[in-house]
Amino acid sequence: MTAEAAVFWAFAIVTVGSAAVVVLSRTLIYSAFALLFTFFGVAGLYVLLGADFLAATQVLIYVGGILVLLLFGVMLTHKIYDLDLKTETTQLASGVIVAAGLFVILASTGLRTQWMGVPRTPGPTTAEIGRLFLGQYLLPFEVASVLLLVALIGAAMIVRRRRDA
Amino acid sequence: MEELQRGLALFRPEAVLTVGLLLVVVVDSIGGARRNAATRLITLASLAVALGLAFNLQASGAKGTLFSGMLVVDPLGAAFKTVLVAAGLLVVLAFTFRNSRELHGLGQGELMALVLALVLFSLLLAAANDMVMLYLALESVSITSYPMVGYLKGDRMSNEASLKYVLFGAASTGTMLYGFSLLYGMTGTTSLPAVQEFLAAGVPEANRFAIYAVTLLVLAGFGFKIAAVPFHFWCPDVYQGAPTPVTALLSVLPKAAGLAIVLRFFYGTLSVAGTGPWDLTGSINWVDLLMVVSVLTMTVGNVAALTQTNMKRLLAYSSIAHAGYLLMGVVALSDYGARGLLVYLGAYVFMNLGAFLVVTLVHLHDGTFDLRDYPGLYRRAPFLTLAMAFFLLSLVGIPPFIGFLGKLYVFAAVIEKGMGVYATIAAANAAIAAYYYFRVLKVMTIDAGNEDKPPLKLAVADQAWLAAFALANLVPIFFWSGIESWARGALVLYAGR
Amino acid sequence: MIGLQHYLVVGAALFSLGILGLLTRRNAVNVMMSIELILNAANVNLVAFSRYAAGNMAGQLFAVFVIVVAAAEVAVALAIILTLYRLRRTPNLDEADILKG
Repeated sequence: MTAEAAVFWAFAIVTVGSAAVVVLSRTLIYSAFALLFTFFGVAGLYVLLGADFLAATQVLIYVGGILVLLLFGVMLTHKIYDLDLKTETTQLASGVIVAAGLFVILASTGLRTQWMGVPRTPGPTTAEIGRLFLGQYLLPFEVASVLLLVALIGAAMIVRRRRDA
Repeated sequence: MEELQRGLALFRPEAVLTVGLLLVVVVDSIGGARRNAATRLITLASLAVALGLAFNLQASGAKGTLFSGMLVVDPLGAAFKTVLVAAGLLVVLAFTFRNSRELHGLGQGELMALVLALVLFSLLLAAANDMVMLYLALESVSITSYPMVGYLKGDRMSNEASLKYVLFGAASTGTMLYGFSLLYGMTGTTSLPAVQEFLAAGVPEANRFAIYAVTLLVLAGFGFKIAAVPFHFWCPDVYQGAPTPVTALLSVLPKAAGLAIVLRFFYGTLSVAGTGPWDLTGSINWVDLLMVVSVLTMTVGNVAALTQTNMKRLLAYSSIAHAGYLLMGVVALSDYGARGLLVYLGAYVFMNLGAFLVVTLVHLHDGTFDLRDYPGLYRRAPFLTLAMAFFLLSLVGIPPFIGFLGKLYVFAAVIEKGMGVYATIAAANAAIAAYYYFRVLKVMTIDAGNEDKPPLKLAVADQAWLAAFALANLVPIFFWSGIESWARGALVLYAGR
Repeated sequence: MIGLQHYLVVGAALFSLGILGLLTRRNAVNVMMSIELILNAANVNLVAFSRYAAGNMAGQLFAVFVIVVAAAEVAVALAIILTLYRLRRTPNLDEADILKG
């Protein structure tokens, strides 16, 4: 097995395995930390795919931002001494059947379809992404900043203690 | 650089709205006693200017792509933009913090900012020409509307509604994104016109299933936006829990923008304009799929509305059903269909907003959304009841109201394509719907009750808006030729060429 | 040899697990985690296609925007969950039942 293959399998197993823990674990805090491993695993896969900037962004924003937010969510919606933090799962059996079926369909689609066959030689991407942000993808870039402003206003407005007009 | 400058000239409605949004945020944070009036004024001004610019855009017949193919500009898009901005403007004008009991005493600045943002993102969604832009705009519209639904922070129903909305919305758009990733893999591009060219050139047998999977996955996101079955479950709860002015806005803006993108995606990407009717590309028959969705949507909406007593939920199911009728315009896959969609949408704005205004006013004076508290309104508020009669008859689709005009167009489009069974089912649905619309009217006029309640004193502004909406439902039929030429002029679907 | 198919299967697995979480989880934060799995699945697909199939950077750019949107979405969702918890003392979805049907 080549080094690349070994690294791929390592990251893939970590990613999918921890994703399973996220979805199946009875303890909420275990799910949250498993999600941490999932995000890191995905970042590793990005590096393997030659997306270095994206991997760094994944770690910074998904782990450093989104996961921290989710952990806050977990912590603030339980009493602090309630260490169990158990969550409940309903109708697991039928859910597993649906999900398994979905996986079979999607995986076989992935294997059987003829995808475009133009590979890209991996290399540093940051400069290219920067160029694209100010070139072809300028509008989405600006719209995304407006979106963040609006999300900030909306979230702050909801959480803030009531202030009258 | 010149391309950017040229692009900005065609981008004026969106630019005005962005400037307005930033101004509202700044003014609201500066504070001061006149803050609410100021933000409202800025919002109204931005929307009014944007409306003029959008109308201008359609009249000028401009065609092209903006910002490296991210947005498409064409008369059809401009027509949609006019409808979207007009709807936003009407809601801000007619539904104030004064005439909505739910919104009394809450800070206005944030809501005005969110409304401007919602309209802005809806405009971007209606013109999206690239998967990246489409996903971004769609999610932006959703993310902007989540806090609006939860605006009544202290109210549990409002909170639960916004939570269900978020989770459902995020899941649906995530699924749609997965579908887009597969489409990207098949075609090597995120630009929708390029995807169309690729699919039109022929799809290998092995990819047929993948394209079908993509269609289903993408439909999850689109279906959520327009509240089509089976992605409609969030709709009644959200409509009921949100403050009614927000419900009125959500019943129109995301739905119209969602239908615009459904039209663009299915007409523009998954089919090709032939010499006469349109042809399907990618060898998949999405017309049948959408037909099934449309039939399910109208049927579920109408049947569920039959037993509702909460007016907001009733109107929620009613708008679900209307999404089913609106989809007829897409299923017809022809110029008539697109025109029908546009006319029906315009009619839908006026009928729906009128109905929600009545519900808001009744809640303002009586504090109830329950239909069982509506008897005697004919005696207590005759003008209100008359206006509501106009709206209800329009929603049923009875001439000479514009609801009839809308239905006429979509039915004609579908029949012209020879889909007789489909048209019959839709007609049967309209008949079922008539039951619950007439039931509301009956309760308001004939039913006995509430004899001890005093007459409703409506503010002058409210009466004026009721009159305006009522007239808007009745008068346009006399300008039928004007509407026809507007719709015809709109129908140049640029589709990225 | 690791190829496109390997990554697509990983993506499919993440997506299916996310759907499983959506169907079975009661806690709102848990459902958000499942949605993040779905988004990551799509992102893995996009980046894999960018490397092996499309030959351009569009997939990676798309993935960056997905991450941005996900961040905004989680912020708003958690704000709502927190407010609901303050009112209701439970983050469980089944108990968010004032709105029926």
